[in-house]
Amino acid sequence: MKTFKTRAFTLVEILVVCGIVSVFLGTAIMLFTNFRRSYSRSEGTAVLMQDGALFLARLRTDLNNAVIAPDASGGTPAQLNTTPDQLSFMVYSSREAKTLPVVYRYLAEENGGSIFRREGSEKERELIKDRVASLTWQTELERFLEPESTGSGTLRLSIGLDIKLKMKSGDEKPFSLKTSIFPARLNRQLNSP
Amino acid sequence: MLEIVFSVGILALIMLPVFMTFSTGSRNIQLTDAEFRAHTAAIELMEQIVSLPFEMIKSGEYDSDAIVDGGQFAGGPVLFKLSTAADLWRAMKVEDIRRDGKILFKKVTVTIRFAAAPGSERIREFFMKTLVANENL
Repeated sequence: MKTFKTRAFTLVEILVVCGIVSVFLGTAIMLFTNFRRSYSRSEGTAVLMQDGALFLARLRTDLNNAVIAPDASGGTPAQLNTTPDQLSFMVYSSREAKTLPVVYRYLAEENGGSIFRREGSEKERELIKDRVASLTWQTELERFLEPESTGSGTLRLSIGLDIKLKMKSGDEKPFSLKTSIFPARLNRQLNSP
Repeated sequence: MLEIVFSVGILALIMLPVFMTFSTGSRNIQLTDAEFRAHTAAIELMEQIVSLPFEMIKSGEYDSDAIVDGGQFAGGPVLFKLSTAADLWRAMKVEDIRRDGKILFKKVTVTIRFAAAPGSERIREFFMKTLVANENL
């Protein structure tokens, strides 16, 4: 009688391998899901940070070019004006070789506010859309006097900025920043003899 | 059986760098956040010094104990105005650049030391330099 010897896996071997593979796949899927969630959160945080950095850089550049210039009616110099929803000042535009008004506008909304910027007669542009959770800007003018001096002292103008950005989904870590900006040209003009 | 266990092991080794890439990306974003805050703190300190009249910018070295919110700058009337920042230390050096006995420029160097991540013991350093021209000459 002829006997055939075939090589094959036994049922137990197949079951053990299936068990190992399913444990491995289960762990891999769980890790991948966690990593994806964490990556998506980090990506959202990076987007918020980029928005905040670009807005801050834009505002800082404008404020560093801000000057005290006579307003349209002449006489009284136009100051740096702040209200809860608006920040306005004059900047020197080297492109147009004249001073132009720059207005930053904050539109607060329940699901996320927006920030707009307008320069001169240009159309208002959106800097941050629907991601501003809160924003405050405040002008502060300080005068420092030497103890025994009879002079008018040193003036320092600064803008305190407190901004918080948040994604609509709310899963991402909000980006918040508090800083002060010191407009160099304005301060030089204020202290010029 | 042994072959399959080996192949699963090799697969796991191949997948490891892929998962590590995600983790590294997240760590880098945390570091960028800390770097951005350090940069903002450096500009805040630099700007308030540079905005002062030239004669008010006193030369010297100032460490983190001397640079505090509301503290005097160089013992003068001007007070520092600094935003609160956790895990961050400031230092500053102001040097005269002279020619023919006259001070032409002040060189301002601001150094910020900061934790690489919130609560981390790894400290990184960031510095920024600028020159302020003497406009009174």
